[in-house]
Amino acid sequence: MARNRTSLTRAIIVLALAAVFFITLDLSGSGSTGTVRRAFDTVFAPVEGVTRVVTRPIATAWNAIREYDEVVAENDRLSEQVALQEGAAVSAAASVRLAQELLALNGLPTLAGINSVTAQVIGETPTNFSQTVEINQGANAGIKVGMPVLNAAGLIGKVTEVFADRSLVMLISDPDYALSVKVVTKSSRTPVTLPPLPTEDAPTVDSVLDSAQTSSTSSTSTTTTTILGFTPSATTVPDAVIAGAGTNITVPVASQLAVRETGILEGRGPGSKPVVRFLDISTRADAIEVGAPIVSAGGSRSLAPPDVVIGIVSRVVERLGTAGPVLEVELVADLSNLSFLRVLLYQPITEAGR
Amino acid sequence: MFERLLRAVASRWFRLVLVLLVVLSFQTTLFGDLRPFGYAVQVLAIFVASAGVSHDLRIGMLVGLIAGFMYDAVLATPLGVSAIVFAMVGALGALFVQPFRDPPWWLRVLAVSVAAAGGEVLMPLVKSVVGLDGWLGLRVTAVAAVTLAGGLVLAWPLLAVSRWTLQEKMSLGR
Repeated sequence: MARNRTSLTRAIIVLALAAVFFITLDLSGSGSTGTVRRAFDTVFAPVEGVTRVVTRPIATAWNAIREYDEVVAENDRLSEQVALQEGAAVSAAASVRLAQELLALNGLPTLAGINSVTAQVIGETPTNFSQTVEINQGANAGIKVGMPVLNAAGLIGKVTEVFADRSLVMLISDPDYALSVKVVTKSSRTPVTLPPLPTEDAPTVDSVLDSAQTSSTSSTSTTTTTILGFTPSATTVPDAVIAGAGTNITVPVASQLAVRETGILEGRGPGSKPVVRFLDISTRADAIEVGAPIVSAGGSRSLAPPDVVIGIVSRVVERLGTAGPVLEVELVADLSNLSFLRVLLYQPITEAGR
Repeated sequence: MFERLLRAVASRWFRLVLVLLVVLSFQTTLFGDLRPFGYAVQVLAIFVASAGVSHDLRIGMLVGLIAGFMYDAVLATPLGVSAIVFAMVGALGALFVQPFRDPPWWLRVLAVSVAAAGGEVLMPLVKSVVGLDGWLGLRVTAVAAVTLAGGLVLAWPLLAVSRWTLQEKMSLGR
């Protein structure tokens, strides 16, 4: 009996020391604990699969009883929302395509140039102290630790553990999640308005059209050209560009364009909105509007490529002293209702080799 | 050789690992989906507390360490955090009933529930100690309350399962 107790005590001491050892190893970023997890997953995955099949009817029945009214109400609301957005989506798609073409022309990185894998959420975190979801794609689909994960609305998190055919995704609301972001702010300068150009210095409509061998009546002209494949048609010249027309011209100066402030977005756990900290201390809180968009900053050490939509500013908290403002963020993605996700096959340099 | 293997398979620790695999699979599937008030009932913690209550401090801690390591292996938390917390849960369960020679059934159930709920308070504390801040808050009380309620429902069957799993000798037939 005494011998049995001694061996139990020894086992407890060894396992407790192993726990401390593994915690240290894991927090220092060692990849060796990943091997332990993968080995355990090989044994555990079949057991979990069988239990999932057996318990699915119970979970489905529970959800049906608990959420039926909510689902009906949400369905009505979404139907209305879809009808409203159908028109807007067409013009938005055209704008996105145009923006991607412009970025590609200028050699700037775009999301369209990054391959992605579509995955489905198959489970939520079983614990109350982490914000993760499990997806049905893993290393076999090319997924690696650190890759950003999006849904149709925007960024939702990053991959933290990868197994052969499944992965764990840490959500953007987890307190351990941090990402460099850009906030589009208002300009601090007043617009510059120029007087109309003097008539004698500026070219007239007639002179412009004469030089192009065109005949003109008022501001409407008919052009004749020899360019192959070009069909001549009537061209309408807007009055605003005609010199001396008497209209003031507002010139957009560079400082009037949207200013981008960078900061760090941090999760604050379930039920709390993420915040953006470490904004430039010279940033005036009133320069950031509620509703200003927040996108990923990108950069060689960032966890996500640039300009992935994250959310909008829902509250600006100004702080005294030298501390810059803190922004509360309303995420565009609904983290409580995730189904299909897109994993961008973009591994940040900081996560390479894991 | 075959007899030694058979003896190892028949040992209560091997049986414990198999039972823990099943309990853990219930935790990650059924109890991960059923979330009363948005919180997951920690059936694994309830099982560990049951082992502590139905046996003693050492067995409670050892079961907690093994269960915790298995739980950490499927979570994204550092390997060992849940092991330490569950060891404390097993010890707490045993300590609650230690002053009583033959505790009544309702006291065992209560001890299991309180120990499991205590684990939900200890988890964010231990996470903070290792540098994973952000989980300590009023939410912890709601999480503990849900696990306490879950414990009151599940403790009785899990006490029976832990007693069967950890019994010293088991017949292999003949």
